[in-house]
Amino acid sequence: MTPHFGLPEFGFLLRGLQWTMLLTVVAFVGGCTAGLAVALLRTCGHKGVEWITRIYIGIFQGTPLLLQLFVVYYGLALTGLKLDAFVAVAIGFTVNASAFLGEIWRGAIQAVPRGQTEAAMALGLHYSSRMRDIVLPQAIRISLPATIGYLVQLIKGTSLAAIVGFIELARAGQIVSNQTFQPLLVFGVVGAMYFILCWPLSWWGSRMEARLALAGQR
Amino acid sequence: MQDQILIEMKGVQKWYGGYQALRDVDLIVRKGEKIVLCGPSGSGKSTLIRCINRLEAIQQGSIVVNGHRLDDSIKAIDVVRQDVGMVFQSFNLFPHMTVLQNCMLAPIRARRISKSEAEAIARKYLERVRIGDQAEKYPAQLSGGQQQRVAIARALCMQPKVMLFDEPTSALDPEMVKEVLDTMIGLANDGMTMICVTHEMGFARQVADRVIFMAEGQIIEAGAPDAFFRNPQHARTRQFLGEILAHH
Repeated sequence: MTPHFGLPEFGFLLRGLQWTMLLTVVAFVGGCTAGLAVALLRTCGHKGVEWITRIYIGIFQGTPLLLQLFVVYYGLALTGLKLDAFVAVAIGFTVNASAFLGEIWRGAIQAVPRGQTEAAMALGLHYSSRMRDIVLPQAIRISLPATIGYLVQLIKGTSLAAIVGFIELARAGQIVSNQTFQPLLVFGVVGAMYFILCWPLSWWGSRMEARLALAGQR
Repeated sequence: MQDQILIEMKGVQKWYGGYQALRDVDLIVRKGEKIVLCGPSGSGKSTLIRCINRLEAIQQGSIVVNGHRLDDSIKAIDVVRQDVGMVFQSFNLFPHMTVLQNCMLAPIRARRISKSEAEAIARKYLERVRIGDQAEKYPAQLSGGQQQRVAIARALCMQPKVMLFDEPTSALDPEMVKEVLDTMIGLANDGMTMICVTHEMGFARQVADRVIFMAEGQIIEAGAPDAFFRNPQHARTRQFLGEILAHH
């Protein structure tokens, strides 16, 4: 007898949702940290360093995320480094996110008017203060809509982690659906869970964008 | 002490790629001197003052500021920038900071003085440019003239030896030009050494010790304002003065 979709199945999906959220948070925090480094290196003014970061960004933006996850999970295993599925996908997503966020923030840093940096230099402020006090606070504001947009993509993108056997929300839905033969109901619930996570963020992002556009007119 | 040399430029050459922006510029500025730089757009006057605090690098020649020779070393650039204040055409206030924070940042970060001391200095100079009551506002809440006065106060907070002005009134509505010029005149009367790129010839007449005319990256002529305006030596200067004075 096949089980119907009930509380235990719903609980299983909730646990999948938890893993999705955890993976998202780890990848986003890691991606932000590494992405900031990428953005700073990409705009540091040193030709060689800027080229290397450009290649780094190019590789991770130019190849499928799926492939990158395979390389981290199976590829590293071949070299003897056997990673736990969660650790492997967390690394894969972090590196991938660092390339995308790095490129978003590179654009934002360059969008801060040149005069801001010049005024800071004329006042005798060093690179670290110029970045921390002047450029980054303005760049982050500029990049917020795009950064939130990327976060939404990341939440949905974590479903790819299922491919290496990691049970997050989408994979949990697949398992429950196979057990209950109620795919419409199960995937409907899964979809609703993604939606509840993503939609408020999207809404927030577009509101930030409208606000920035308004500020730009002044 | 009147004769102490603060800035000495010798044989300065500057290129942007194949375009030569400064040609063999020599300039000596003594302590307390007020210099007005004028000339047609593209003549190199902004470039010249931007070389003094190393916002632009030069390819040949030498620049010595208050005894420190500007080379590529970060140390030399640091020392010079602490001695040289600059005011820009487009104000360049930091939009995410209040007026007071704008003025306090550099003394705290670059001079490493305490917050309370920085605030006292900032309030003093904001008072001096008559904008003390706006200290808690953000730049966008102020008029152009007020913003430019804040920018002057911000530069003064570093207690510079020289002030550079890069067309400080060019971006202002006409009714706000006077308040900024009055602030600059006050500064000049207090004995500040100043180099001003400006087309305000009334200001030049009233304040300048020397007016310098530039064209095509060269200093064409220099003189006391009286002689400069009454009896310019070069045809190029006469032509320029004819053009700008016709509008005033």
